[in-house]
Amino acid sequence: MSQNDPMLESYIFEETQLTDQLENLILQNENSNNYSSEVINEIFRIMHTIKGSSAMMLFNNISTLAHSVEDLFYFIREQKPKDVDFSSLSDLILESVDFIKVELQKIKSGDNADGICDEIIEENKNFLLKLKGENAYKAVIFFEDDCEMENLRAYSVVKNFDELANEIYYIPEDIIEDDDTGKIIKEHGFQLFVKINKSYEEIEKILNQTILLKEFTLTHLDSYEEFEQARKQNKPTLTENPIEKFQIEKKENVRIENIPTAQNIISVNVHKLDQLMDLVGEMVIAEAMVLQNPDLNGLKLDNFENSASQLHKVTSELQDLVMSIRMVPISNTFQKMHRIVRDMSKQLNKEVQLKLIGEDTEVDKNVIEHISDPLMHLVRNSIDHGIELPAERENNGKNKIGVVTIEAKNSGNDVTVSVEDDGQGLNKEKILKKAKKNGILKKSPEEMTDKEIYNLVFMPGFSTNENVTEFSGRGVGMDVVVKNIEAIGGSVSISSVEGKGSTTTIKIPLTLAIIDGMNIKVGDTYFTIPLTVIRESFRLIEMDSIININGNEMVMVRGECYPIIRIHEFYGLDTKITDFKDGIFIMIEKDEKYICIFVDELLGQQEVVVKSIPNYIKNIGTIRAITGCTLLGDGNISLILDAGWLISTVNISN
Amino acid sequence: MAKVLIIDDASFIRCTLKAMLERNGYEVAGEAVDGIDGILKYKQCSPDIVTMDISMPKMNGLDSLKEIIKYDPNAKIIMLSAMGQELMVKNAVINGAKTFIVKPFKEEMLMKTLTKVLSV
Repeated sequence: MSQNDPMLESYIFEETQLTDQLENLILQNENSNNYSSEVINEIFRIMHTIKGSSAMMLFNNISTLAHSVEDLFYFIREQKPKDVDFSSLSDLILESVDFIKVELQKIKSGDNADGICDEIIEENKNFLLKLKGENAYKAVIFFEDDCEMENLRAYSVVKNFDELANEIYYIPEDIIEDDDTGKIIKEHGFQLFVKINKSYEEIEKILNQTILLKEFTLTHLDSYEEFEQARKQNKPTLTENPIEKFQIEKKENVRIENIPTAQNIISVNVHKLDQLMDLVGEMVIAEAMVLQNPDLNGLKLDNFENSASQLHKVTSELQDLVMSIRMVPISNTFQKMHRIVRDMSKQLNKEVQLKLIGEDTEVDKNVIEHISDPLMHLVRNSIDHGIELPAERENNGKNKIGVVTIEAKNSGNDVTVSVEDDGQGLNKEKILKKAKKNGILKKSPEEMTDKEIYNLVFMPGFSTNENVTEFSGRGVGMDVVVKNIEAIGGSVSISSVEGKGSTTTIKIPLTLAIIDGMNIKVGDTYFTIPLTVIRESFRLIEMDSIININGNEMVMVRGECYPIIRIHEFYGLDTKITDFKDGIFIMIEKDEKYICIFVDELLGQQEVVVKSIPNYIKNIGTIRAITGCTLLGDGNISLILDAGWLISTVNISN
Repeated sequence: MAKVLIIDDASFIRCTLKAMLERNGYEVAGEAVDGIDGILKYKQCSPDIVTMDISMPKMNGLDSLKEIIKYDPNAKIIMLSAMGQELMVKNAVINGAKTFIVKPFKEEMLMKTLTKVLSV
């Protein structure tokens, strides 16, 4: 996308918002089988805006399409027709919405918005015509032989329909000006095309009133193709339909009233937000470097302390605020799921209800982008593989409407998003069978816990669905979900009860950049451990608490055994503190697995700005169990430990 | 029985028309010799239908038509035109003549026309 064109960016932003708004409107209202006048007006207003903006940006296909929807809703708004088929109407509008979305995507990626929507426009027009009770007819009229001036007689016929019809076209056209047309009519008949709110019989009656009529054929037209062809060959009709003129005037009034109200929201380039975040991060570091400056060691400076505390207060607030700016409620992503549920249930003939919990949970904007696709995939999975067909559900004593629940909640430093369905659940045998077939089975089934069996579905190359459906089950889905989530530091887990349903849970770290950490020292090396993984820290009192099983050192805490990792050993660091009695144990936990790490000393808690390992180091190789680094107040670099990695290096048998 | 007013300057035409009409069950309510006479006779005998010649002295059929229609917008007037009077006929139709017949015409054609015009 050209970032140099603010007008284009603004257009894309506005139109994307509007189409999302419109889509939500439709999805919310289609089941009530009636659109309130507010909704109708809203739809009209949105399409009107899209039409205008798109025309200005010269995206004429979008503009014309929007116009056809606008016309449709103008009629519905003004005439309030009864018996409107809102279900078909909803489908129709969603078709238009989808087309516009695709075009917007193209525009975003810098491609040509060259989509053709003639068919959709035609469908919109036809829907409107049906609402108007309008029918299209073609009549071919022959006059009595030798009656002379057939063209003038044809003119009389046209005059008969003029007041009644919405649109009239005829061939030949120049019946008044060109007398030769009389010959054409004599030989080929007079072709008349009308769009009129009358029945076949009524038209027949009118035609039978033609003076010196020999014969005619009358056809009710189902498609307006012939009509359009006639129109293309034609100049406008004799007189403008007075009703149409009136409608045009009314439209002008509408335009004037439609001044958009100012909004209290502005859109900001995400780039700038990123820069702001970085800057705040630098500020936190700089603050630490001042407040924890070695020069101040041992000095008692009351005045300074007060000012320092004030500074810290302000920077903390600033930090929180900047974080919150980047925080976006997850509701937007959630709302997209409605559409998926709707489309999929229609296609698969299943009845599915979507429940959303925790829509106003806020998540960093970066994270939203990484959650959207995985979430969609999980919802698709639930509907495709989880929820059974209505008949099957009823047979099993379930409500025939399946429920998919998406819940988001904040838990400390993480956001948890879970997708739960009350479908058939995971079938262990099927999973094991498939895993074996695809060579993914590493352990013998007897040794695997239920959880481990379920987690097999996350492995690449796995799928339990016999038929790869359009939606899921290609074996490339779940593992990609996991990869994407882990890429932003999150995790995916799944649990299930066969026959009752499944729940897939995604956990994602809330803030990516600034965390509360505990600084520790091992030898000359500084480390930082995220506070969220620390459960407790303790000194060893009795050596009796240490157990050695097959060379694996473990420590007893309140009757439980925990594996020990000596950090100095893990990283090969020189330190004087190798005896358990001289150092400190820190118990850390991830995914309900606990270990204790042994370090030299605790330095203290600090808010640290996480910086990623510089590329020149990454290029050499990954450092085990280190996710980043940070600058301490005294200028030292501290490495941030990855609890998950550390824990996974230990063989835990629960 | 429908009443017809014949407006034509040629007595031969008036005669032939009268015979035709009476043969077919119509009553000739009146005959006029020019446009002005036509308006007068229309007001006098209030016919159901009028046959109007185009070229006549004093006032032609087109202008007479316009006047009669001004007087009675529902007047049913059939123009009888000769070949070559297309423009006048067009104007007549545009100005309210129900239809037209081109001379020379067959009796059948006139009768069909009259029936249709009266039935509407």
